[in-house]
Amino acid sequence: MKRFKSMMIGALTAVLAVTAVGCSSSSEPEQQVLNIYSWADNFDLDVIKDFEQKYNVKVNYDVYGSNEEMLAKIQAGASGYDLIQPSDYMVATMIQLGLLEELNKENIPNMKNIVSTFKTPPFDKENKYSLVYTWGITGIAYNKKYVKETPTSWNDLWNEAYKGRVIMLNDPREVMGMALIKNGFSNSTTNKDELAKSFADLKKVLPSVMAFDTDNIKQKMIAEEAWIGTVWSGDAAIINGQNPDVEYVIPKEGATIWADTLAIPKGAKHKDLAEKFINYLMEPEVSVKNYESIGYSNPNEQAYPLHSEEYRANKMIFLDKADIARAEWLVDVGDTLQEYDRYWTEMKSGR
Amino acid sequence: MKTWRRHTLSGYSWLMLVFLYLPIAILVLYSFNDSRINATWNGFTWKWYVSLFDNRQVMQALMNSLSIGVISSVLATVLGTAASLAIKHYSLRWRNVVNGLIYLPIVIPEIMMGLALLVLFSQVHMELGKWTLIMAHVTFSMPYVMVIVSARLADMGKELEEAAQDLGATPWGTLRHVTLPLIMPGIVAGFLMSFTLSLDDFIISFFVAGPNSTTLPLYIYGLVKRGVSPEVNALSTLLIASTVLLVIIAELFRRKDSKNGQIHF
Repeated sequence: MKRFKSMMIGALTAVLAVTAVGCSSSSEPEQQVLNIYSWADNFDLDVIKDFEQKYNVKVNYDVYGSNEEMLAKIQAGASGYDLIQPSDYMVATMIQLGLLEELNKENIPNMKNIVSTFKTPPFDKENKYSLVYTWGITGIAYNKKYVKETPTSWNDLWNEAYKGRVIMLNDPREVMGMALIKNGFSNSTTNKDELAKSFADLKKVLPSVMAFDTDNIKQKMIAEEAWIGTVWSGDAAIINGQNPDVEYVIPKEGATIWADTLAIPKGAKHKDLAEKFINYLMEPEVSVKNYESIGYSNPNEQAYPLHSEEYRANKMIFLDKADIARAEWLVDVGDTLQEYDRYWTEMKSGR
Repeated sequence: MKTWRRHTLSGYSWLMLVFLYLPIAILVLYSFNDSRINATWNGFTWKWYVSLFDNRQVMQALMNSLSIGVISSVLATVLGTAASLAIKHYSLRWRNVVNGLIYLPIVIPEIMMGLALLVLFSQVHMELGKWTLIMAHVTFSMPYVMVIVSARLADMGKELEEAAQDLGATPWGTLRHVTLPLIMPGIVAGFLMSFTLSLDDFIISFFVAGPNSTTLPLYIYGLVKRGVSPEVNALSTLLIASTVLLVIIAELFRRKDSKNGQIHF
């Protein structure tokens, strides 16, 4: 009995201690709090710490695993977040649903630093609600040990020699978009014939595909289970860092470009602070530190000359201007999305 | 013939164990792998365990998990024990119905419960965060406490309490000196059970978490897009180790319990 009693007392003391700690940290009156809801590993933690010290604020950084998850949370209301990072197409959806606050551009003078290509993205043409934060292009990553001829076209994925070694992203718009681009159409077509033709073509590559897998694509390329596949440029850089045999190209037909943005959800309590943080992230020096740590492409033109040789020499991060010009954004296809999904289901169930 | 049968049976048992524990063994193994990505084995290292403790985000998630776990399981234990006592001692009119309703949350799919709680919280305009998480965790772990404590109470019977009261003990005195000591192993087991459940929960937490309340399972899930780092393997290893420890302690209490009074639940 004594033992139980002391255990219970111990447990109670622990609770009191924990609640006391919780209270003291939440009841500091003057300190403003910025609540970020974002992808994991999307900021250099030192950059956040610097921001906290410089402005004497506290930053909470929570993570989600997909755009749809984030949307569900914001839609439910009362989420309490001040800054979110929807991807391109999700920005369009959220604007339509009225879930985003307009950015006060006076608070973000540094937005002039963004490279001109990203000042007019199709999902938010005047940067009214969002600013591009990280971006990349979905190209072909290949292991030169097994893929002897440098791929130049999406057609190279169809090569019989790579049977069972082709990997693709697990995303209907990305995969169908790739097939559409290969056949000379727009990656966001609403023309049913174009879709049908591209799908028929896509079916031919199916026997070669080992997996549709976004989450483990890096592991599979590094471990050389997959030889060739559709990979985001930033991921290609990470893969290349672990396995230098893996190279990356953007095929001549063009490719899909994507971005994760910075945006403020409707009703955010600390909108000014969120804008202050966005502005801080776009200071050239800060962005250099931030992007070299997270290893993705920096949209900040003023920062380019400040980046290290190594970062600038990396073709998977410092993408070629001509490639960017050829790349195409995925845009909302309206009701045609059902067609995309139908083809996607048919393809995956047919395996 | 006999040896053949014995070999088959023991072989089968071992196979089952391998089936159950191989994934966990691999996860633990890769926490010692000297490579940023869980793809190839590059050599042995302790560095992920070291860098884990420098990672502010992971540590914050761990602290959230622990504080939410402790607070919610204490609340669930107190409320659950009180409810079990109430149901046992007072002849409620619809006792069986009440009993059934209380156990329902155990069988309701977690995802529905998470959604229901989220809808409730946003209806009453309660801001999502630590407190909504704690409430949700109390909601799903309280029935487990009640199952364990009620079983213990049922096996105890009425005789001892009646004897105490015959001998002049006040109701409070009976509770304090007779009932509680007898059901204490059940209470402790219930507490440990709720703590374990709270620590592991993902689905319900996912719905009701808000700013600054990311728990460990939520954080780990978020890492999927950028690739799960071996720090997470290291952390998972520690988490599995502590969960196993708690389960063992709970089991010891249960054993002690059944040895003393031939009680099973």
